[in-house]
Amino acid sequence: MRLAHCWILSVGVACLSVVCLRPQTSLGSDVYELAKRIDRHIDARLRSEEITPTDFVDHAAFLRRVTLDLAGRIPTQSELDDYLNAEPRDRKQRLVKRLIESPDFAYHQRNQLDILLLLRQEHNDKWREYLLEATRDNRPWDRLFREIMLPEESPSSDPRPVAFLKRRTNDLDAMTNDSSVTWFGVNVACAKCHDHPLVSDWTQAHYYGMAAFFQRTFQTRKGFIGERFDGRPKFTDENGEQQEAEFMFLTGTKVADPPLEFSEEELKQLNEQIKQAERDDKAEVPPRPDFRPRARLVELALSDDQQQFFARNITNRIWARFFGRGIVHPLDQMHSENPPSHPELLSELSDDLRESGYDLRRLIHAIVLSEPYARSVERASDAAPMPPELFAAAVPRPLSPRQLALSLRMVSIGPEKMLQWQSNEWEKQREQLERQADGLARSLVIPDDDEFQVPVSEALWFSNNQTIENDILNGSGDRLVGYLKTLESDSQLVSVAVKVILSREADDEETQAMATYLRSRTDRREQAIKQILWSLLGSPEFRFNH
Amino acid sequence: MNQMINRRALLRAAGATAVVSNMAAIDALSQPSFASELARGEKSVILLWLAGGASQLETWDPKPGRLTGGPFSKIQTCIPGVEISELLPKMSTRLDETAIIRSLNTKIGDHGQAYELMDRGRVGEPGVRFPHLGAIISHELGQIDSRVPDYVSMYTSTEGRRQGSAGFLGARYNPMFLTEKMMPENIGRHDAISQVDHQDRAALRDFLAKRFVRDLKNPSVHSHENAYERVHGLMACDYLFDIDKEPQSMRDHYGPTQFGQQCLIARRLVEAGVPFVKVARAWWDSHGQNFETHQELCADLDQCMSALLDDLKQRGLLEKTLVITLGEFGRTPQINGSLGRDHFANAWSCTLSGCGIRGGVVHGKTDEDGQSVVEGEMNAGDLFATIFAALGIEHDKEYMVGSRPVPLSDFGSTPCREVLA
Repeated sequence: MRLAHCWILSVGVACLSVVCLRPQTSLGSDVYELAKRIDRHIDARLRSEEITPTDFVDHAAFLRRVTLDLAGRIPTQSELDDYLNAEPRDRKQRLVKRLIESPDFAYHQRNQLDILLLLRQEHNDKWREYLLEATRDNRPWDRLFREIMLPEESPSSDPRPVAFLKRRTNDLDAMTNDSSVTWFGVNVACAKCHDHPLVSDWTQAHYYGMAAFFQRTFQTRKGFIGERFDGRPKFTDENGEQQEAEFMFLTGTKVADPPLEFSEEELKQLNEQIKQAERDDKAEVPPRPDFRPRARLVELALSDDQQQFFARNITNRIWARFFGRGIVHPLDQMHSENPPSHPELLSELSDDLRESGYDLRRLIHAIVLSEPYARSVERASDAAPMPPELFAAAVPRPLSPRQLALSLRMVSIGPEKMLQWQSNEWEKQREQLERQADGLARSLVIPDDDEFQVPVSEALWFSNNQTIENDILNGSGDRLVGYLKTLESDSQLVSVAVKVILSREADDEETQAMATYLRSRTDRREQAIKQILWSLLGSPEFRFNH
Repeated sequence: MNQMINRRALLRAAGATAVVSNMAAIDALSQPSFASELARGEKSVILLWLAGGASQLETWDPKPGRLTGGPFSKIQTCIPGVEISELLPKMSTRLDETAIIRSLNTKIGDHGQAYELMDRGRVGEPGVRFPHLGAIISHELGQIDSRVPDYVSMYTSTEGRRQGSAGFLGARYNPMFLTEKMMPENIGRHDAISQVDHQDRAALRDFLAKRFVRDLKNPSVHSHENAYERVHGLMACDYLFDIDKEPQSMRDHYGPTQFGQQCLIARRLVEAGVPFVKVARAWWDSHGQNFETHQELCADLDQCMSALLDDLKQRGLLEKTLVITLGEFGRTPQINGSLGRDHFANAWSCTLSGCGIRGGVVHGKTDEDGQSVVEGEMNAGDLFATIFAALGIEHDKEYMVGSRPVPLSDFGSTPCREVLA
């Protein structure tokens, strides 16, 4: 915060032009100032390393990039035209604000959180509904954490946040490690059998300390999550000695295990009751213990002096979503031997996130307004490749299965119909598109955090599957192919096709190549149109966000 | 492409002359110069996966006469002193190129977890996505711009359907997976587009793509281009899946079952240079009626496996093709109330044949009732190390996952030298 003030004093004049557009937020500096702080930290490092970053992308490219990132789909032709023709002053700021406040943002944010939290393991409609509700009202991240990790505290009518734990209740290792990775950016699995061989931060005591918080969690046959009254993991340490784990968070802070208030006999009965409920869906739900380790973990992880893992993890994960890599990278390796590339930036952003009440929308808003976000991708040159951790250039990022499936659906719609949808009940159409995209999205590979490889099955699908031919490239009247059929000029046809699919103007060489292709197929014009659309859809320019 | 065309023409010729002289056509295919051109001198693996877990007692490690031995007897094989179940008569005369391992102790007796163990050669860990055997082999033996698939996976029924994952090696090494049909999905051209337009359209795509990819240093973008470059090569491979191209006598040799047909496809694939083919045969999970089940399934296995080994040998392919016959575990010596045998991972068997294997060897020994391993115990990691060693791949070579080294076969595993040539 203090640093930001210094900056405002020094270049205060430069930012006067945007003052009138500042969105008001409850706490701290506004998002424009936050964006400038990002610029400053990234710039400082580039300067000290004497690296010249790439240029900024042009307006059309920025529109495509930010629409994919905020709305989870490519822009429509009319969005492209509007943006290119908009009053130049502050058009970027207005665009970002519009997108972030649009219904699309909630859908996309939901889809992203679904991948993060269920780790590509299942498709669950109720859970997706729950997440959508949460992203619509921009529910704070700490509240989501609480709801998802303590689903038994939700009103009984709303069992939906249970999916995260439910998936993992019969596998303590998965519950321990997935929770640590997802919420705290720490992969402790390596420390299960021995102290972490490479990272001195993580010992067996950390692994089993985290596992202890989850060991008592069980699931009833009816699907309720509960906690047992006793039990902590036992393990053999490196000296071959048997140990009983203590409740211990990643920071090393421990929680005492209070003495049981029950007699052996009562405890036996309670445990019997729990066993019954695990087996029998008619059995009564056992009572909740007063001391619940999982609830204590949530409390501890959000307490003032322990929050750093929680806040830094989500900040880093959000950052990585927009830049293709984290400030700490890989994302699950937050420890002293894998320092952040920009430590101060990570601290400031995560502090700001905490102070804003874990307002993810604000963080995202600032990131997409920052300068490094608007840089173009790196092209080969004589210079040495830029170290990726400097964020001197954009990295082409593969579309997520859902971004790709939605974009394909969007492309298939004719521009006139799309315009009609956009001016009327767009949200309903978006919901519809989401459903239509389900099947395809599930059959595509979810990109890893690291280097993604397009499988050949995808290229075969694009080349030969009947969905492309019969559905996406369907030639009826209100579809793109149907619309293009009505255009007489080839260059106009190519121009619309390139705008709709690649969100930019076609250049001369492309126009000429595609027009030639069309001209040599006048006997089968509709097929020729489909073929040029296919060649655009199959281009990496469509497949990646760049 | 020329190779493809030559080969297609030749196969067509082989089909046409089938009635007159099958052997001549087969001989032509196995001429050294032509065969090496086809197989590109690469090594391959065919994994015959016995999904559900076959009984070692009714296959490779019979114990007739014991209380737990079951009704079948054992027979003498072509290797002096080596006896296997009478349910595998054809294999009993063909052990020259095959090593039997009777001492697997893999401990895990649950289908899901055992499958993962025997598929990846190590126990899973949350947070690390280990690749499975097929992905590792295709990564090690495949060629980046291959015109044939790296890895094809076929199955007969739901039990064998588990797909596995290439894990941290990346989706490039995912299998081409055959579901209900005997032909991979999306390998055939859609009727609505002609051959010429299909290729011209691809050329237009390449033109547009190159303008974008030009000077771009990103490996993910290049993998996209690599995937599209392989499309027409793979589409031209459709004939490999078409066993109508084989003479009837060859098809009869493999038998009429789906497993047999898929084994024949597997041979066609490795002949064309596919590094890894998995054929899963389901329904070995004989908790009830173990003996009837094995009578039926062993007959199928016996015919298909022996046909495959004969065929590979005749073509000179066996010395560079490793055939692995394996499932997720074996079955209990105890016979349950339904005359079945249950899951058993403490003392069971598998076989390795062909490439890099010393034939006729039996490694390891179980006690007289088959309850435990008494000699030469091996775990999943040791088996994987042996497989890699047989193929000339360093088993302790390491992949780096982030900053963590992951050896090809699990830490502490050693190849079983006794079965290696």
